[in-house]
Amino acid sequence: MLLLKLCILIESRQLGVDIHFSPETMPIQLTSQAYCKMLLHAAKYPNCAVNGLLVAEKTKDRKKDSEPVLCVDCLPLFHGTLALAPMLEVALTLIDTWCKENNYIIAGYYQANERKKDSRPNQVAEKVAARISENFSDAAIVMIDNSRLTMSCFEPIVIIYDHHENKWKSRDVTLDSFEDWSEAQKITSALLEGRSYENLIDFDNHLDDLRNDWTNPMINKSVLDLC
Amino acid sequence: VSPAVIWENMASVSEMYDVGWEEMRDKLRKWREDNRRNSEQIVDVGEELISEHASKLGDDIWIIYEQVMIAALDCSRDDLALTCLQELRKQFPDSHRVKRLAGMRLEALERYEEANKHYDAILQDDPTNTAARKRKIAILKAQGKSTEAIRELNEYLDQLPLLFISSAAFCLEELMMTNPHNHLYCEQYAEVKYTQGGLENMELSRKYFAQALRLNNRNMRALFGLYMSASHIASSPKVSAKVKKDNIKYAAWAATQINRAYKLAGRGTKETKYSVKAVEEMLESMQITMS
Repeated sequence: MLLLKLCILIESRQLGVDIHFSPETMPIQLTSQAYCKMLLHAAKYPNCAVNGLLVAEKTKDRKKDSEPVLCVDCLPLFHGTLALAPMLEVALTLIDTWCKENNYIIAGYYQANERKKDSRPNQVAEKVAARISENFSDAAIVMIDNSRLTMSCFEPIVIIYDHHENKWKSRDVTLDSFEDWSEAQKITSALLEGRSYENLIDFDNHLDDLRNDWTNPMINKSVLDLC
Repeated sequence: VSPAVIWENMASVSEMYDVGWEEMRDKLRKWREDNRRNSEQIVDVGEELISEHASKLGDDIWIIYEQVMIAALDCSRDDLALTCLQELRKQFPDSHRVKRLAGMRLEALERYEEANKHYDAILQDDPTNTAARKRKIAILKAQGKSTEAIRELNEYLDQLPLLFISSAAFCLEELMMTNPHNHLYCEQYAEVKYTQGGLENMELSRKYFAQALRLNNRNMRALFGLYMSASHIASSPKVSAKVKKDNIKYAAWAATQINRAYKLAGRGTKETKYSVKAVEEMLESMQITMS
């Protein structure tokens, strides 16, 4: 099993070397907290599509072009019907305000489609990402590949899309797409096995009962404890 | 940890809290009534209830078998699903409802051709059986056959009075007609209209959000929706001064209610205070766009 993991790691690294990153957009990187909350959201609603936002810390100016954008947290939005406008607008506005308070900026959008074998961004994803791009030019779309969701999380199951020449193109996900892949893998796996996803709150849950907290402080604490 | 959270984890702590079979049965009923799809919990509670307390459940047991079976399919517990199905078959040998469940199990096992045979058998007997027709469409959807799915959907819709344009609006309008007191359908219809866009749809959207609130004044989506739709109408250059004034009133009312709801929810908890602040700021920022 360890040998298998090692082979996958090596293969990913090799793939990473062969990718040509466009100088136009900067790659995003995911922290363990961001990655695991996305997967918990997908795991909580296995029979639905889910989506949400990724946030990064706001920096005054970009230092180096090669520095990746670190997505420090994820905010789960909806499950089931993703395509209706009014609640999405409410969520975006509320989260925008929250971001200002915390010096964050909305940097990306994630989605897991309803059908297991379909992991391409659809119209909803493109529309939301376009909206995010108005405030953050390097906005990315992260698609979760449902068909590879497992308890052990032995490989990253996200596909990252960047906006190039008016199209969304996927880039191969390498270990560099994570702040610390082995930490992310360990934490996500532990929380999935512990069924923490049962307590994950998304914006839909918040609308059902305002006391439900979409920043998920308890799960954030669990992540911190496991670090 | 809120009581809601403890209750949600009841199945795994049933030993710890020594929950009796009556509470388990009641919990299953509540989840049925709320149309919850928390399948893992239903399986945990239901399996224990069925295996250890079947004799005490009386006639409730049949609906519990159905509920647990569907949850078992969600959790890939075909052993449990089959047990439930067999009990239901024994008790209700000619039932279309049980046949549909058998079809759902075959769908879960991706044996689509066999599932379709079950549904066709139901439809031959009862061509108006919409549940079977919907499952057939669901199969086509799962197989990625969207053109065929749309064709089947149109055949199904042909049986309904054809007065409207969008398919989501279609389905909701039918649902609202047959369930006029259901605030959820009303609210969802309002969301569809809002999404369709344009001034006329926005005004319809506002009316249906308001109606949903009349049916249930605690529906937060309807409240937010009323606020958003009224705000959009008020900021439209195409409306008369009177319409603008009226919508500003509706939006202001909704804003007060939203603020009140958040303050109520945030009482005693530190975590939701930023939520209250965020909502206040959101409402303030939208006031600016309306004037």
